[in-house]
Amino acid sequence: MSDRPRSVDRLLPLKPKVLQILLALADGPRHGYSIMQEVATRTDGQVRLWPAALYGTLRALEDLDWIAKSEKRPSDDDERRRYFALTPLGKRVLDAEVRRLEAIVDHARASRALRKPVRT
Amino acid sequence: MTPPSRRAIRAYGWLLWLLRGRDPQEQRAIKEDAELLLDAARVRGRRAFAATWLALMWDLVIVGTGHDLARALRSLVRAPGFALTVSLLLGLGVAATTTLFALVNAVILKPLPYANPEQLVMVWESNAPLKRLREGPAPGNLNDWVANSDAFEALTGWWTASATLRGRDGSAPVTGVQVTTGFFEVFRRAPFLGRTFTADEYLGRPSIASGRTGGQEPVLVLSHRLWQSLGANPALVGGTVYVEGRKWRVLGVMPADFAVPDIDAAFWTPWDMREAYRGVRFPDGPPRDFRFLRVVGRVKRGLSREAATDRMQVLAARLAADHPRTNADWSIQLVPLREELVRSSRTDLLLVFGAVSGLLLLVCANVASLAIVRGAARAREMAIRLALGAGRMRIVREHLAESALCAVLTALVAIVLTTWLLGAAIAFAPSDIPRLHEVDVNIRVVSFAMAAALLATIIGVVLPGRRGSSTAIVPALKDGAPVSGEHASRVRRALVVAEIGVTVVLLVGAGLLTRSFARLQRVDPGFDAQNLLVLRIAPDVTRYRGAQVSDYYGRVLNSIRELPGVASAAAVTVLPMSTIGSDFYRPYWLEGARPDEFAATQANVRMATPGYFATLGLPLVSGREFSARDALMAPRVIIVNESLARSAWKGQDPVGRTLILDYQNGPSSLQVVGVVGDARYKGPRSDPAPEIFIPHAQNPYLVMNVVVRTTIDPAALAQTARVQALNVDRDQPVHSVTTMERLLDDTLQQDRFAMLFVALFAAAGLLIAATGVYALLAFTVAQRRREIAVRMAIGASTSSVARLIVMESLTLALVGCLVGALGVAAVSRVARSVLFGIAPHDPLTLGMTAAVLIGVVLAASWLPAQRAARIDPVSAMRI
Repeated sequence: MSDRPRSVDRLLPLKPKVLQILLALADGPRHGYSIMQEVATRTDGQVRLWPAALYGTLRALEDLDWIAKSEKRPSDDDERRRYFALTPLGKRVLDAEVRRLEAIVDHARASRALRKPVRT
Repeated sequence: MTPPSRRAIRAYGWLLWLLRGRDPQEQRAIKEDAELLLDAARVRGRRAFAATWLALMWDLVIVGTGHDLARALRSLVRAPGFALTVSLLLGLGVAATTTLFALVNAVILKPLPYANPEQLVMVWESNAPLKRLREGPAPGNLNDWVANSDAFEALTGWWTASATLRGRDGSAPVTGVQVTTGFFEVFRRAPFLGRTFTADEYLGRPSIASGRTGGQEPVLVLSHRLWQSLGANPALVGGTVYVEGRKWRVLGVMPADFAVPDIDAAFWTPWDMREAYRGVRFPDGPPRDFRFLRVVGRVKRGLSREAATDRMQVLAARLAADHPRTNADWSIQLVPLREELVRSSRTDLLLVFGAVSGLLLLVCANVASLAIVRGAARAREMAIRLALGAGRMRIVREHLAESALCAVLTALVAIVLTTWLLGAAIAFAPSDIPRLHEVDVNIRVVSFAMAAALLATIIGVVLPGRRGSSTAIVPALKDGAPVSGEHASRVRRALVVAEIGVTVVLLVGAGLLTRSFARLQRVDPGFDAQNLLVLRIAPDVTRYRGAQVSDYYGRVLNSIRELPGVASAAAVTVLPMSTIGSDFYRPYWLEGARPDEFAATQANVRMATPGYFATLGLPLVSGREFSARDALMAPRVIIVNESLARSAWKGQDPVGRTLILDYQNGPSSLQVVGVVGDARYKGPRSDPAPEIFIPHAQNPYLVMNVVVRTTIDPAALAQTARVQALNVDRDQPVHSVTTMERLLDDTLQQDRFAMLFVALFAAAGLLIAATGVYALLAFTVAQRRREIAVRMAIGASTSSVARLIVMESLTLALVGCLVGALGVAAVSRVARSVLFGIAPHDPLTLGMTAAVLIGVVLAASWLPAQRAARIDPVSAMRI
């Protein structure tokens, strides 16, 4: 796209659900149901996506050209399922958002806003 | 899969289809994912399944409607014309309906402001053979009922008395209510401040008017209104007020909506009827044949009104056996208190409510017509969108979302207008509508406004626009296609016919009420109501007694007679048309009557000063008026009216004969010295009743109505006459100064209310119907432009084209009149009870209505016809 914005920074911050969807697609194409499950697992059930809203968001993200329907699909899958994958722009947006969040966390640590380092 | 979960999935599918119908592929994906989620949830149990299903449905609703509403809102902001016009029109109609609903709600529907109000009944004594069907119970009977009845939790009686309240800024007349034991237990209403009476406090207290105290400190409970006018000081509770020449201890204040018997009640005070009726005058204690009390009982919980009536009937039979002279043939009636209160206003209010609902229907029809035109204008847009692949369901959804916005706007407009209109309506409404002080905009009224707004929007916007989605694509896209389909025109024509029909009903109603009102105004009350000034004097009972009362009134009347412009003046206990004054309904019989005839006939007993009949203009049929020689020690004389003379002496002249009247000191023989004409005492609708007049000097009653015949406008004399009366004794309150014409007018308040409102609505309806006809014809002319042009091109004259349009309007008017006639026939049964001296199918009214309506419809078709006649065939066909 020629009129792509020079910097993706002005698209940030992302809505939490959008961030979760982009993250779920970061390690490869997924279909809708798989996105829902991945997000639910990753957030320990904190963020739950429901189909009607999810597909609405997916359509909006497609319109933004952050994601696209993917032709790559696992061999064992139902052919009717629609897979979505990040576009290069989507990857850049996700990258920029994660960096932004990282900067916030770093700043918080440096200013000792956190009582103790979080370890997992 | 179990059936319930299959049903759950199917429901989800329907909602999905309804709300997200854009893309079938996406729809399928959503549905599959939802099913997967539900499958996963089912494993975790029934509750998890239900929770997931609910979450899925919610997700759909939020996403689906949110989108369409947002779109509708955007299009509203972009082109607000239609939605705003519709909302304003409908809002106005809904507001008018809601205003009347608020009245109906407060007066008829709302429960009375007492605990368990359904247990409350009004108690009447009734005697079928004497045709006295609703008499206030007698004190003696009430005492027996209280002592012996097992039908009531509590039973109380009261009687109002006018009293003089002396404050810092002079005296004012107030209405005191003297109540018997159990009054506050019957109504079960906690005081706003302080307390009500204990059981002991009811005992041994005489009436207000007696001027005695029964050896105790007088106590009272104030109304909220009087308490506020006294400064609303909480410290007043426990303090004293100065009433009827002595101090009374204030025990408490009742809440603002406690209005027993009506909003004029200023205070309540205990009353022991045993104390009030004793001594030589009442050797047997409280009388059984003075039937005047107002009695309300709280029926025992679980006992039906019928069962309570049965128990009371047994008691009544026992009393009739024990006291045959006073109680034979008397039975007891229990009427639910609420019914009792709204009896008089119910029909009028419902009538006006019906009229205003008719108006709302008219507005809906007009808006529907607008919506059809708009739908027709947008048919092309719809066709283009459909042709480009928009789902029909999507168009339906957008339409619904737009309508929902209209409904919300309508409700808002209506609620705002209602609060404003309600103030005006209360100011206009007759003051004798009960419970008017309880009218407010509450949750019920708001809900009504919202429901009415929704219904109006459905009728006015949703239904007419419903066809937008079924537009046939190809014809609509054709160049030069008619702007509106044949179907839409037919529906609009039907709507205009319906509008005319409703208007006919409203017009006929207004015409009938107006003519009936005119007849009521022409009814001869029996006397000359013009140039009469009326004032009421309630002297202090502690100040004037016996002959002093006659002397006081003599001086007052003389001082008024001295005024220029006064022809004569007199006083009487109860004036015709006046609601104030004590009326006594007493048995009388002729000399030589058998004992079983003693109580058979009753008459209203009134005390009058000499010159009363001449002053009032009540004709003397035979004999003489009272004069100064009918003094306290002179022979006892009476004057009777024609009704009594007719029924007692059957056409013979009663002058010089005697009659036995059972009044005050027991039956006594009185000589008839005159007969006067009949008067309609309770307004033009009432029939004359038998009356007996006693010279005031022979029974010096304290509270009197003074009536003054003037030679000039009586209202101009009001102030000077009052001052003149006050000059005799400035401590005696002179109040309710008014004219007889106004009193006469007040008896017609409810008739006027109904007439004015229905006439107003009829006028509005006529206007709406006229605009409806105009809009339809104007549209038809625009639509048929080419056809008319062709007609003209091949030789039709301008007048024949105009005639074409006018004939169409005439057809509409005639069909509408027929529809209206059916409506009139349907409501005539209700109308009959309200009308006076005129039948619901009065041919003159019907004829005039039809004439007015056809005239207006023809006028409305004038402009469109002109426009049609002016069409230039050349330019019209060039398109």
